[in-house]
Amino acid sequence: MQYMLLIYENEEIFGGPDKTGPIMADLGPRHFAFSHELGEKMRAGAGLKGTEAATTVRTTGGKQTIHDGPFAETREQLGGFYLVEAEDLDAAIAIARKVPLGKDGAIEVRPLLPMPPGLAAKR
Amino acid sequence: MRAGVLDETFRAAGGRIRAALAARYRDLDLAEEAFADSCLKAVKAWGDEGQDLPRDPAAWLYRVAERAALDRLRRRRIRADNRPNEPEPAPTAEDRLASDDAIIPDERLKLIFVCCHPAVGPDSRAALTLKLVCGLTTEEIARAFLVSETTLAQRLVRAKRKIAEAGISFEVPGPEHWAERLAAVLSTLEVAYAKAHEDAAGSSRHAGFAREMLEVTALLCEMLPREAEVLALAATIRFAEARRPARMDAEGVMVPLAEQDPALWSKPLIEEARRYCARALGLSGPGSRILQMMIHALWCGRKTLADPPPWKAVLAAYDILVELRDDPIVRINRAVALAEVKGVNDALAELDALDGTTLAEFLPFHAARADLLARLGRDREANTAYDRALALSPGEAERLFLLQKQRLLLGG
Repeated sequence: MQYMLLIYENEEIFGGPDKTGPIMADLGPRHFAFSHELGEKMRAGAGLKGTEAATTVRTTGGKQTIHDGPFAETREQLGGFYLVEAEDLDAAIAIARKVPLGKDGAIEVRPLLPMPPGLAAKR
Repeated sequence: MRAGVLDETFRAAGGRIRAALAARYRDLDLAEEAFADSCLKAVKAWGDEGQDLPRDPAAWLYRVAERAALDRLRRRRIRADNRPNEPEPAPTAEDRLASDDAIIPDERLKLIFVCCHPAVGPDSRAALTLKLVCGLTTEEIARAFLVSETTLAQRLVRAKRKIAEAGISFEVPGPEHWAERLAAVLSTLEVAYAKAHEDAAGSSRHAGFAREMLEVTALLCEMLPREAEVLALAATIRFAEARRPARMDAEGVMVPLAEQDPALWSKPLIEEARRYCARALGLSGPGSRILQMMIHALWCGRKTLADPPPWKAVLAAYDILVELRDDPIVRINRAVALAEVKGVNDALAELDALDGTTLAEFLPFHAARADLLARLGRDREANTAYDRALALSPGEAERLFLLQKQRLLLGG
């Protein structure tokens, strides 16, 4: 099964939307080492620029509006993700436990919807 | 008469059959529905008085439930694909084996681990275990959990969906996840037993529920005979159940542990508890569940009301326990023992050192405080503490007890 590991941290620790603060000198290499350790199990992954760089396109009743900022203001923000292959939830949780964090944070573990059979064949 | 026999058969066989089906098809709903189908067929086939039950009713139910599961799967596929009915698949070697009268594969341990996965909310875990492993009805569980049947049914649906969608495996966890997964099973059973224990009389309609807790812990010990904490929980539940006949007086008022007449305690249950207790102690040093078991064992060692209560030893056990598990309930229980050994003032100081705001809604805190204040003659404060405790909807027996104490205070 594939699982998305969504990384939520208070983005203030990263030193601005480009996340180039001093903490990255430590956190960057840890992510690099972690993705290396994941090897084949890692299907995709990236860090995201801060929510200051976020734009939200909202559709309400068929009408679309553009907003500055993330879809919701929260204490911790989505800051990056890993897409991993894991046998079951326990295996995915075991990987989630090891995702590097700057300080406190949360990793949301979400299974991917399976690809509908027709679409999977076309790929 | 016959209905009672059938219910008993269904209840006894249900956990094992649901577990076998769930492990085979990796689908909790399917397992429940197929077993329900087979019970309906059983009522038709052998429901009338005078008809003979099959030699092995459980095996009969399992075979029929298996067929029902396959039927349901086929109907689902047809609904999904809108294809004509396919012929029934020829039984595989595994099917033939599983259809043998004597063999219902025992997958209950897997089912327990699935229902108690830490990714499922704690209350839902307990409810799901009681439903699927112990075979309680939604109505019975809802009553024990003090929620409406609709709420509980929704909770069960959500939990089952989570298990299906999140990829929780139907396997006994491997060594790297063992400790955490076992801890989740034990805490689930503790939550479930706490609900059964709240009913002091065991007389409300979920009276059978405590019995199911005895069964499920016995089962777990049989399957995990070398896990000290599993044995300790089994012992603890038996010690606690043994005291049930003494927990209420004739008027339905709660009797505190130290005032219970040991002559009323169930000796066979205490004996059983001691056997589990000895096995647990043979396997492990003091962990928090071992200590809780020991505290129960100390109390259940009392032979008559004339024996002095074991407060000193109980306090010593709480002193160690509080190092291992520092939570309010342990602190409060320790303070109660402290009052008997060192004095009421010391105990009250302990309680008042706890964070009163987080405990504002915690009944045992106010009940313990009220008692200590009353014993110090601080009647007005005691009265307020009793009011607080009573406002937190205690069970009927405890409510009567608190009211009685409060009335004494007011000189009534």
